[in-house]
Amino acid sequence: MSILQTRGVKKHFTEGRETVTVLKGIDFDVDRGEIVALEGPSGSGKTTFLSILGCILAPSSGEVVVDGKPADEKHLARIRRQSLGFVFQQFNLFPALTAVENVEYALNVKGVRGGNARTEAERVIDAVGLGARKHFLPRDLSGGQKQRVAIARALAGNAPILLADEPTANLDSQSGTQILELFRALAKQEERALVIVTHDPKVRGIADRVVHIQDGALV
Amino acid sequence: MAVDLATKTLLHDKLRFFITVSGVAFAVTLVFVQVGLFLGLMSNASLTIDQIDADLWVTSHNTANVDFAHTFPETYVKRVRSTPGVARADNLIVWFMNVSLPNGAVEGTEAYALEHWGAWNFPRNVVDGNLEDLRRGPYVVIDDSAKKRWGAFAVGEYREVLGRRLKIIGRTVDAKSFTTTPLTFMDFQLAQSLSESTLRGNTTYILVKLAPGADVESVRAELQRRLPYNDVFTRGEWASRSRAYWIESTGLGLNMYITVFLGCLVGIVVVAQTLYTSTMEHIREFGTVKAIGGGNAEIYAILGKQATIAAVAGFALGALQAFALRPVMAKIDLKLIIPTSLYVAVLAGAIALCLGAAMISFRKVARIDPALVFRT
Repeated sequence: MSILQTRGVKKHFTEGRETVTVLKGIDFDVDRGEIVALEGPSGSGKTTFLSILGCILAPSSGEVVVDGKPADEKHLARIRRQSLGFVFQQFNLFPALTAVENVEYALNVKGVRGGNARTEAERVIDAVGLGARKHFLPRDLSGGQKQRVAIARALAGNAPILLADEPTANLDSQSGTQILELFRALAKQEERALVIVTHDPKVRGIADRVVHIQDGALV
Repeated sequence: MAVDLATKTLLHDKLRFFITVSGVAFAVTLVFVQVGLFLGLMSNASLTIDQIDADLWVTSHNTANVDFAHTFPETYVKRVRSTPGVARADNLIVWFMNVSLPNGAVEGTEAYALEHWGAWNFPRNVVDGNLEDLRRGPYVVIDDSAKKRWGAFAVGEYREVLGRRLKIIGRTVDAKSFTTTPLTFMDFQLAQSLSESTLRGNTTYILVKLAPGADVESVRAELQRRLPYNDVFTRGEWASRSRAYWIESTGLGLNMYITVFLGCLVGIVVVAQTLYTSTMEHIREFGTVKAIGGGNAEIYAILGKQATIAAVAGFALGALQAFALRPVMAKIDLKLIIPTSLYVAVLAGAIALCLGAAMISFRKVARIDPALVFRT
């Protein structure tokens, strides 16, 4: 059963007098526990599509259903809180917070507070193998370790869908491989759907399915 | 407990935090010093009125303030004493006189001359001598603030006032006038004899103490009826009128408001600029807050808390600086009065100003596109 579904998703942007169509009516499904790699050349619309899947952007037309709920434009933030976890290419950690606090803060935003948030944050930090560095600030962590914190943040709160944007782009080859293996293990273990936007051929190795996007359409 | 992103982010960049706090502290110090000095000066403008134990003051018509008195017949006091509800009434002369100093220089003094010194609890701080002795001869009590302009003096010495040698029989402290002219205290009849041409048979004020239970307004109305060419003020009104004269005639009030405004403006600009720069530098983090499900409310709370912390820290530093300046000001005879209500008002003002300064950042973050988290 699809946990993430789009039907006829289109996206237009207006630049001056010109309207640019970035997505041309995409139908897409991801099942629970499935790992999908979304590949495509630069400018193909994959980041825009990921933003729509992540309820960060609303489509110009078409329908997005997340975890059985239609992604109504008024409730995008709530859907993001409840059903989605993100991993970004630039990590996007809060530099003033330690590794465990970065995760705990995300839980706070999702409404989990106090001891429960701290316990869950420590659990996922341990799960990504950073227990010994949980009190380190991001500046004291390597790129791979930062991405592990970002994965822990995405995993925290049991969001059923994880979206990752080029998670290995800023990592060396060895760290990239480790991160992907970790990602796959954790996603499968907890039956989470995972969509990875990537240029990295290594991602194919962990994906259940590879989807290509070109000129705003799946090919 | 939730993770305190606002505080941790604010303190993470200590230099920027210091600059922000310094901006607030600068404004706070400026406000405290300006308003404190203003209140200090204004307290001098009505200090004698505030200290003299009179419920009502009878003045010549249209007298602008306590220092610039005009004469009227001293016999009017009889009409006052016979008015129902008056417990006591005495003549008071306030008059500028010249003092010849031992070094040949001539300086001014503002003489306060009363018939009965003990009845009015004034001046309050007599540190040497007894005011009741003033009636016994050509004697004078001088406030210590005169040393600054007249040079040192001591009890037992003589000073020549309007050509007559008067013996110094006592000293007071903190009896001051807005004019900065040193105050001296003498017997009423002695003052009249020193300036016979204008003061003989005249007074400049009548001090009135009401009988217990007497209604101020009724007594005042009756006095006004009996003395149609004089004014009758309550102590509060007279103090306020005297202060208002100096505020309006010297531009002191306007000057204070302008300086306070400029201080606040500088504070707002510094805080707004540093908060805005900080917001722009952390824009990706705010985008991340939105991406992980936070709304504008969460970000407003972060910015609001940061502005409040900067306001409170800046207030504390500014208040400390103003407090430290008080003894320095006192050494140059400037009084810095900072009442508790001013502390409360400045703290509330600092918080309001910092939150106001954060509004520019609010506008910016309200328009953050969370999709920026995907940009490299």
